[in-house]
Amino acid sequence: MLKPSFDPVQLAIPFFVLAIVLEILLGRFGKAKANYETRDTAMSLSMGLGSTVAGILFGGVVFAATVWVWNHRIFTIPMTAVWAWVAVFLLEDLTYYWFHRIAHERRFWWASHVNHHTSTHYNLSTALRQTWTGGVAGTWLLWLPLSFVGFPPAMVAIQKGVSLVYQFWIHTEAIKRMPRWFEAVFNTPSHHRVHHARNARYLDANYAGILIIWDRLFGTFIPETDEEPCRYGTVKNLGNFNLLHNVFHEWVGIGRDVAGSKSPREVLGYVFGPPGWSPDGSRETSHTLKAKWRAREEAASRAAAEEKAPSPGASPASRVGT
Amino acid sequence: MDKALLIQLGGSVVAVALLVAVAAWLGAARPTPPLDVEAARALLAVEFPDHKPTALWIAADGAGLIARENDHALVIWRRGDGYVAREAPWRDVSDLRPSHGRLSIRVGDGRPVFAVADDRWPPKELA
Repeated sequence: MLKPSFDPVQLAIPFFVLAIVLEILLGRFGKAKANYETRDTAMSLSMGLGSTVAGILFGGVVFAATVWVWNHRIFTIPMTAVWAWVAVFLLEDLTYYWFHRIAHERRFWWASHVNHHTSTHYNLSTALRQTWTGGVAGTWLLWLPLSFVGFPPAMVAIQKGVSLVYQFWIHTEAIKRMPRWFEAVFNTPSHHRVHHARNARYLDANYAGILIIWDRLFGTFIPETDEEPCRYGTVKNLGNFNLLHNVFHEWVGIGRDVAGSKSPREVLGYVFGPPGWSPDGSRETSHTLKAKWRAREEAASRAAAEEKAPSPGASPASRVGT
Repeated sequence: MDKALLIQLGGSVVAVALLVAVAAWLGAARPTPPLDVEAARALLAVEFPDHKPTALWIAADGAGLIARENDHALVIWRRGDGYVAREAPWRDVSDLRPSHGRLSIRVGDGRPVFAVADDRWPPKELA
């Protein structure tokens, strides 16, 4: 009930390795869209390895907290009931959605999650580019209510593992679109490409883990369009391939901003405001970037409409450019 | 730390090294041909959509560019098989001095090195 009898992630590691090799081969021989840059790949895989070590170091605290909460649970939900697995699947996925949304929309948690988005590539190795500082950021607290309600910690841990394994295969450009019914319900490579895109139109969207229905429900769904291919990475891509810079740069940025703050309001804004928040609004947030993008789009469509519309007094001949 | 965990970590390190070696060996990176004026302008439009640079200089090896918009320098350089963009005050860029055909700029977390045709700086395209 407390410790899972198996770890889906551990079991999937050989599959991860083989799938990455296959994707590299498909990309190399032009059979599928897949690009691997050596230092980018090294960074992604090193992040994955480091994340495992960080998880081991912080795992004791998370486990102790989960057990404590479980000991104070409201109900006792049996691990053997099918309905319980259906319920934990849905509730864990909903929890993941909100964790992921907070991790993008509030800087303190973004500092921990940004590492996953710093690759300018979107391939299977990107899936393994995981945080080292999730334990410190405390996002694991969001899963405690599941144990408080009565789901055994082992059940929650297994479902979290299943979600992580599911999210591996969607980090690819090799798959364009899944069948329509699948795209409607599940998170797919197409939906998740949008999530990893740095194009202004795609920012802060598609937070889903397994089910895309949460994004559709809470208004954060944006479909991928062929007119604007995704460009990957962060709004301001990293200037180097330094592993430690990748892991800690946003934390350092928070520290620097807090040190230069002039009031408690500024401290709160820099720590818990949206990424890019500044007291005078001189920096860019997703919101301002999207607003500027919309303004450019509107200006472009106005210009296009004016070009098409005949100017008053113009002769029919002049309209066709003769 | 127990032995099984150490073995697992050791195996993971080896697996990571092998995968990186495979990626390096097979070379599936994006092609990055040297920038020409058209590609440079397209890159500027993507990275700085709200800016209207009036002057453009492309590095001698085509691996980066510097554009000027009044007192502002827009700096783009190749990192791996992609590009990184940063802004800097024009004065900080114009005050630099190339050495042996190289110009090094400090912009935030990046230190791009641009190839220059000669050691005259700023170049006539940006002056």
